[in-house]
Amino acid sequence: MSPPTYLSPEMTWISKTITAFGGLLLAHACYSAQEHSALQSLRAATVSLTTASPSVASLPADITIETVLATLILLLGLVLGTRPLRPIEWWVWAGKIEREGEEGFVDNDGEVNKDYIGNPFQVFETRPGFVDIRKQRKEFAEWVKNGGGGAAIRK
Amino acid sequence: MTPSLLHPPSQLSPADALHLSQEAPAVLQGSPSTVSSSPLAALFSAKETPELWLKYENLLLSCLRTGDEQAAHQCLERLVARLGNNNERVLAFKGLLKEAEAKNNNELERVLKEYDQILSENDTNIPITKRRISLLRSMGRVSEAASSLVQLLDFSPTDAEAWSELADVYLTQGLYPQAIYALEEVLVLAPNAWNIHARLGEMQYMAATAPGAGGGSYQKYIAEALKRFSRSIELCDDYLRGYYGLKLVTTKLLNDTAKPSRQAEEDEFALPDVGTIERLNELATAKLSEIVRHSTAQDRGWRGYDAAEVAAAKELLSKDAAAVSGIER
Repeated sequence: MSPPTYLSPEMTWISKTITAFGGLLLAHACYSAQEHSALQSLRAATVSLTTASPSVASLPADITIETVLATLILLLGLVLGTRPLRPIEWWVWAGKIEREGEEGFVDNDGEVNKDYIGNPFQVFETRPGFVDIRKQRKEFAEWVKNGGGGAAIRK
Repeated sequence: MTPSLLHPPSQLSPADALHLSQEAPAVLQGSPSTVSSSPLAALFSAKETPELWLKYENLLLSCLRTGDEQAAHQCLERLVARLGNNNERVLAFKGLLKEAEAKNNNELERVLKEYDQILSENDTNIPITKRRISLLRSMGRVSEAASSLVQLLDFSPTDAEAWSELADVYLTQGLYPQAIYALEEVLVLAPNAWNIHARLGEMQYMAATAPGAGGGSYQKYIAEALKRFSRSIELCDDYLRGYYGLKLVTTKLLNDTAKPSRQAEEDEFALPDVGTIERLNELATAKLSEIVRHSTAQDRGWRGYDAAEVAAAKELLSKDAAAVSGIER
């Protein structure tokens, strides 16, 4: 099975690295925030014994900035890793079916999408309701007789 | 790539059909043979999906085509077990099996009688009606098939598949105007079907180049063909079949400009001037050679084309190139 068409291995590698870095940064920011609030409450407990000044439970600017930045980086990584959007113009979509066939409609696991049916109007030419099974069988027998079967069976 | 069992298999190549039917035992073993309808059993067994029955139907068709009747019977048994003996589709598949196994004309006649019998009980059974028509056609009774098709379309005029079959029947009889009319009905029902536009263009081209076509009808058909192929390209980017037809039609038009151009009537499509046709021809040549080049090189994103179609396009291009160099010499 071929890899997803548009996503070169290099691209997925970049997007995965960025996502991982963003995740790490976000985790670090969360940890810092947690530590900070723990420290704050501890200090508040000790301070309130001596003076009566109310403690301000706001985060330092660097943790806030880190959180926002981490989220943005995480988003960037995820966006880079998504597959290109499906065409919404009829002729582009139809052209994609004709030009790329199944290959243009694989998901990230390399499987063809379940809802891919090729040209949906193909049935008006193949007409499964009117199939002439005797002719098909004859043609198939001809094909086998002419050595067409040999190659397929060996494969 | 293995073709999916979820699509009707009639357009597959013999090799693909063989491949599918060779996998039949594995598929049959891997799928549940019966699905209980009791809610208790549904808790413990795999969920029933409509795809399963579609799979059996398509497997049945592939196996019948390759002559694996045993597997076909198994598929049918499972369909019968789930859907009952009198389901319309099941009845049609039963008839199909009998048709495939019939050895001589007498047996075929018997199958035909059975169809008539079923239809006398319920004459709105569309799958059986269709089977009866295709059996008639297969036995060489084409005009009977055509009249039955007309009857079917009388009470079910929105059946695009039947209109398309009617067009095909008329085409084999050489009745171009009727065939074109029937295919236009398909387009009324499915106006965005780019392959039907191309098919209609092909039919009109055939009608224009048929020996009986006179000057007036030639002009009309060839202009319509040009229009249809252009529309199919408009609906589908890089459509090989559409560009092939466009190239064919414009080359023909450019070669016989000597013919007097008839004044088109009010509601008819008039041919564009020579300059436009030349530009269309150039466009088709450029597009076709691009498609052939990418497709023979197996470039990424250009592998969806049929190899036979690409070969035909290549041949057309080389023939055209030979003609051009012949003129220059």
